[in-house]
Amino acid sequence: MAFTRKHIGHGIGLRTTHFPEMLAAPPPTDWVEAISENFMSAGGRPLAVLEKVRREVPVVLHGVSLSIGSTDPLSEGYLGALAALAARIEPAWISDHLAWGSHGGRYAHDLWPLPHTEEAVRHVVGRVRRVQDRLGRQILLENPSSYVSFRASEMPEWQFLSEVARRADCGILLDVNNVHVSARNHGFDPIDYLDGIPADRVGQLHLAGHSDRGRYLLDTHDDEVPAAVWDLYRETLARVGPVSTLVEWDDHVPPLGRLVQESERARDVEADARRLRRTEAA
Amino acid sequence: MTLAETQALFHALATGGAVSAGDAGRLVVSTPGLEAEERVGIYAGMYAARLVDALAADFPKLRGLLGETSFAGLGEAYARAHPSDHPDIGRFGRHLAGFLRLLPAPDRPDLADLAALEWARSEVFFEAHVEPAGREGLALEPAGFLAARLRFVPALRLVRVHHGAAPLWRALEAGEPPPPPAAAPGAVAVWRNGFDVLHAALEPDEAAALESALAGEPLERVCAPFGGRADGAEAAFAALSSWVDDGWIAGVEPGPRSAA
Repeated sequence: MAFTRKHIGHGIGLRTTHFPEMLAAPPPTDWVEAISENFMSAGGRPLAVLEKVRREVPVVLHGVSLSIGSTDPLSEGYLGALAALAARIEPAWISDHLAWGSHGGRYAHDLWPLPHTEEAVRHVVGRVRRVQDRLGRQILLENPSSYVSFRASEMPEWQFLSEVARRADCGILLDVNNVHVSARNHGFDPIDYLDGIPADRVGQLHLAGHSDRGRYLLDTHDDEVPAAVWDLYRETLARVGPVSTLVEWDDHVPPLGRLVQESERARDVEADARRLRRTEAA
Repeated sequence: MTLAETQALFHALATGGAVSAGDAGRLVVSTPGLEAEERVGIYAGMYAARLVDALAADFPKLRGLLGETSFAGLGEAYARAHPSDHPDIGRFGRHLAGFLRLLPAPDRPDLADLAALEWARSEVFFEAHVEPAGREGLALEPAGFLAARLRFVPALRLVRVHHGAAPLWRALEAGEPPPPPAAAPGAVAVWRNGFDVLHAALEPDEAAALESALAGEPLERVCAPFGGRADGAEAAFAALSSWVDDGWIAGVEPGPRSAA
């Protein structure tokens, strides 16, 4: 079992506020990440924009409602819609979150954390395999930001993520901001997290901003990437090597040029990391 | 605690509003800086906020009319009555008009109609594109005209209202003071032209004709509501022509051939 990483460069999220510019010219970025659920409709403007963008750059589908950790049955309707969208868009890859957000047929539309238990590992692994079989491809799972640690947990989050990825034979979408946010909220060392995950399964990175609420950090994606997250990005690249990286900016979305500027900064940081690795290897 | 038990309790705490210290403490770890109850409360706050935000995206005029605080209160009450049951958060608001109809605000009994109009506009925005048929694509043999049935594009809705929803929407769009609610049973057609969503109030006979046509009735019955007019034939022709010109009609199915 192995995971093959594809490096497609530096991307940005496809957001409605940028639709006019996306329709007027090719996207000024290597690739675009689209929230899967926003494009599962039969038609309309969003899907037309996505299809136009896809003709010009690679697209990655990133879901928020797979609810892979839920004890509810997997939604066949959802998987069918995702498979249909994937057939239409031919994404570079498909990702979602190592989280859950539905219970008893009710959807919270949130990314709730799981207890880090062997039972949860087995539960998620079985479901990831079914999803991968249904989609005919490996998926990537993202580490969510979190504000609670369950009393039932038996292992740290990075071990939980690693066990799921290895046993399900899927990739990891490592959200560097989420590692930083959760480290602060739970009091662990983010370097332990980076050292504890299988580098060869990290297929994509997320960078984002967050809000400092005093006693905790809130994962808000509403601002530029802060210095502490850039530092952790450098630490990540030093361990996993160059990885396709996306800057998430979902609230108070800036003009497209500003978002691209933030993504280009990630490209510069990665170039520095490549030079550093070459120097160390020489 | 098993995974299923953990999720049942966490779901109840995060969606139920009030978080009990005892239940939260059984489930998650407290730290000196942040108690278990507060930690679960972060999720409870985000749950409500996210659903209200989703409604605000689909019902911008209703939100503008009510104001942020009242709209949030409405959204939270609606979420308690109709928790989301679909993976797409964009479907969450589909029961809001019905919810408002059951619990009308005494001073604004027209909110349900405004919500119904806004929801139809949202649905039409995301409908599949089907190329409308032009006049040239609708040539019918005169002998088969009355038995023919129209096929409509998916991006079309007929909304039945009890108050003047279209004038209220227009005032809110223009930033003008909303007109007082006025009982005015009627119908509004909602459709899409390119990426633009449009709507228009219909006369009662045209609304009845469109309702009949959408139900798949033959043109003989579709045209019947115009029979009460002195210029019934001309009115029916004008209505059908406008449906074609506005891109509502995808095609026409000929009626069964009569035996020779």
